[in-house]
Amino acid sequence: MTPALTVTDMSKSFGGPRVLDSMQLSVEPGEIRALVGENGSGKSTLIKILAGFHLPDEGAAEVDGQPLPLGDGTASEALGLRFVHQDLGLVNNLDAVDNLALGGGYPSFRGGIRWRQERKRARDALAELGYHFDVRLTVDRLAMSERTALAVARALAPRQTPPKVLILDEPTANLPAAEAERLFQLARRVADSGVAVMFVSHHFDEVFELAQSVTVLRDGKLVTTRPVPGLSEDQLIELVIGRPLEQVAHDAKAAERSALVLDISGLGGDVLDNVHFAVHAGEIVGVAGITGSGRDELARVLFGGLDRTGEVKINGAVVPKLRPDRAMAMGMGLVPAERHANAAFMAATLRENITVVRPSLHFRGGLLRKSPERSDVAKWLDRLDVRPRNSEFPMSDLSGGNQQKVVLARWLRMDPKVLVLDEPTQGVDVGAKSDIHALVDQAAAQGAAVVVVSTDHEELVRLCHRVLVLRRGRIADEITGSRMDHDLITAATIGRDQPDAA
Amino acid sequence: MTVNKQTPAEADVERKAEAPSAPTRRKIVVTLGLDRFSGLYVWAALIIIFSLWVPSLFDTATNARIIAGSQAITAMVAMGLIVPVACGAFDLSIAGTLGMAVCIVIWFQANGHSFIPGIFVALAFGLLVGLVNSFIVVRLHVDSFIGTLGMSSILLAGTEWVTGGFQVANGISPHFTALGQKQILSLPLPVYYMVIIAIILWWLLEYTPAGRYLYSIGGNPQAARLAGVRVGRITTGAFLVSGLVAAFAGVMLAAELGSSGPDVGGPYLLPAFSAVFLGATQVFPGRVNVPGTLIAIFLLATGVKGLQLAGAPGYINDLFNGAALIIAVALAARARAAQRKA
Repeated sequence: MTPALTVTDMSKSFGGPRVLDSMQLSVEPGEIRALVGENGSGKSTLIKILAGFHLPDEGAAEVDGQPLPLGDGTASEALGLRFVHQDLGLVNNLDAVDNLALGGGYPSFRGGIRWRQERKRARDALAELGYHFDVRLTVDRLAMSERTALAVARALAPRQTPPKVLILDEPTANLPAAEAERLFQLARRVADSGVAVMFVSHHFDEVFELAQSVTVLRDGKLVTTRPVPGLSEDQLIELVIGRPLEQVAHDAKAAERSALVLDISGLGGDVLDNVHFAVHAGEIVGVAGITGSGRDELARVLFGGLDRTGEVKINGAVVPKLRPDRAMAMGMGLVPAERHANAAFMAATLRENITVVRPSLHFRGGLLRKSPERSDVAKWLDRLDVRPRNSEFPMSDLSGGNQQKVVLARWLRMDPKVLVLDEPTQGVDVGAKSDIHALVDQAAAQGAAVVVVSTDHEELVRLCHRVLVLRRGRIADEITGSRMDHDLITAATIGRDQPDAA
Repeated sequence: MTVNKQTPAEADVERKAEAPSAPTRRKIVVTLGLDRFSGLYVWAALIIIFSLWVPSLFDTATNARIIAGSQAITAMVAMGLIVPVACGAFDLSIAGTLGMAVCIVIWFQANGHSFIPGIFVALAFGLLVGLVNSFIVVRLHVDSFIGTLGMSSILLAGTEWVTGGFQVANGISPHFTALGQKQILSLPLPVYYMVIIAIILWWLLEYTPAGRYLYSIGGNPQAARLAGVRVGRITTGAFLVSGLVAAFAGVMLAAELGSSGPDVGGPYLLPAFSAVFLGATQVFPGRVNVPGTLIAIFLLATGVKGLQLAGAPGYINDLFNGAALIIAVALAARARAAQRKA
């Protein structure tokens, strides 16, 4: 049988080291193949090359025995390669019918669109995937799995040639667990019709549930392609990380159990679901998880930037939801992720960036006193070693690391009882990173309860007394003591349950 | 999944590391020095040019007084407008509020009441408009531009309704017109009100926590919210201020005119916006501010008056203000871009 897709000796570099190195791949029609690897292992690059978005330096690909013209998106579609990207590429304010038409136009158009015909076509296409919903609803009113189905239906819509290979890039990243199951059924249906399905995933449980075979990439190179039956989850994790999982005895900082400060119960958000945990004074608790695990929303949910269910208590008092100002008044501080969007006032001075939290400290006799304000700010710039050390410079003049220190100073100045840090060293140079770590340690030493959310697992090991691992919105594991190791955290985020119990 | 791709922040780190910072900064300081009060230089240049061009008409104390008096109302409206613009919201209803305030205070007198309750009702009406605007923008999440545009049309309908579409000038108390026409040191009273409002708003924006919050919301509303700033409440306050100030300006205009008519407010909208945006290039470049707005007002007025005295047709006023608005916003955009590059 002719393979549905073959890739031979494909390499690509973006000026530096090869991000894809002599890649080999072959997928049979009707096969479901998982593509796994750490961030930066080359999965995305491979998919973008197949989609015609990047031109490889070397190598070739064939679809159903026909050579694939590289670097040409139209040609790869014409040969039967179809893609559903992670963001799905749907237009939220259009309905299913219009979204289907975005790919191939309105087939019934003859001097006017025959809407009845188009709606029937849309309903039929979705019914074939096992979905039945009102095709006149705009996308933003559909459930996430319905949106995914719509994106798949669009990818599979007949063009000049029938689809041969369906490539899904992290299709479950935005799906709650129950809806993921529907997507799996959908993928199986598609495969049963003879189309090869290749999906990228970080969830290893998905690999075991859905895929017949798995291709592992590491550092741009093919590690192996294996049938899934007979493979254990530990083996797969080893293949992905590249060495056996050691359980190093780690000299974790022992948390001195003092007063309970932050008490979280039944916390729910967009993805977060019934999360409980507590943080004591002086304790640093880490939170890890892959994208879509709820990790990305946790910090803002705690602070009230995003809506939540459940209870957040500081020293026994309930913090009202969606009230960052109340959270702040009750002693919580948030250093959010994505500084540019969420924390920095680029055109304002460092002084204004720091004193935007409670400028009233320098408001006396009806006037904001600027010279005490300046010396207050100067003290913090000094303490955090911000360069340049001039309170009147605009924020935009500073490097990323110094900007992050300014944001941190904003909250340290408040002497917070609870300090929540979301990706605190994102886009920060090495020197500033270790400075920031030292400052977080200091804040905890002075009695703050600290929550650090991070995708940098080395950072979590460096900082935290224990690390909570989120999976699909719930705390799936808690890493403490001897298990404090960044590979182990990584393994836990991608779905290795209870290694101790095994 | 990103391979070999820098996040903007990372790229930023590298760029900053490479940039030799000291010379760059010196350059900024120099440009700021030239920029910050460039409006004053242009203003001085205009005065000199017109003094040489039409000396007999332009270069007189009377003319200076006329410019000051005629611009007092515009300046008040513009300064009220600064407050919502500082927090990133437009208030296009200020001219309508001003027109309604004129009609209300005149209506009271034309119907045999005292002007004093009229003034209070007019001011309360200004606050009411601000409250409704903020409800539309903050609660209903209507874009401020659209929301207040709609409101301005509603207010225009209101002035038609109150005046019946005619000029109303009967029963006006001379005590009331004195408020707008009396002169101290040969300057009409509204000039003094303008100065008082300027001082209050300058204090509000530069010397109170509320001012900080306003500018922080204008700079990055999401960051402001996550820094514990009550964005909705501050925005509401901003609309209340612009409504109140516009209504006060309306009362003063009524006192100056001694009459009301439909759409007396309309001509004040564009000059106010021009002045606020042109003002944002002055004194504190990149942010709307009170002294910058005042410079802009008098710069524009001097230009228009000079051209009129030199024989330019009446429509030069609209032409000049429209052009100034576009140029001001373009200049502000360039200033922002330069700041980003710096």
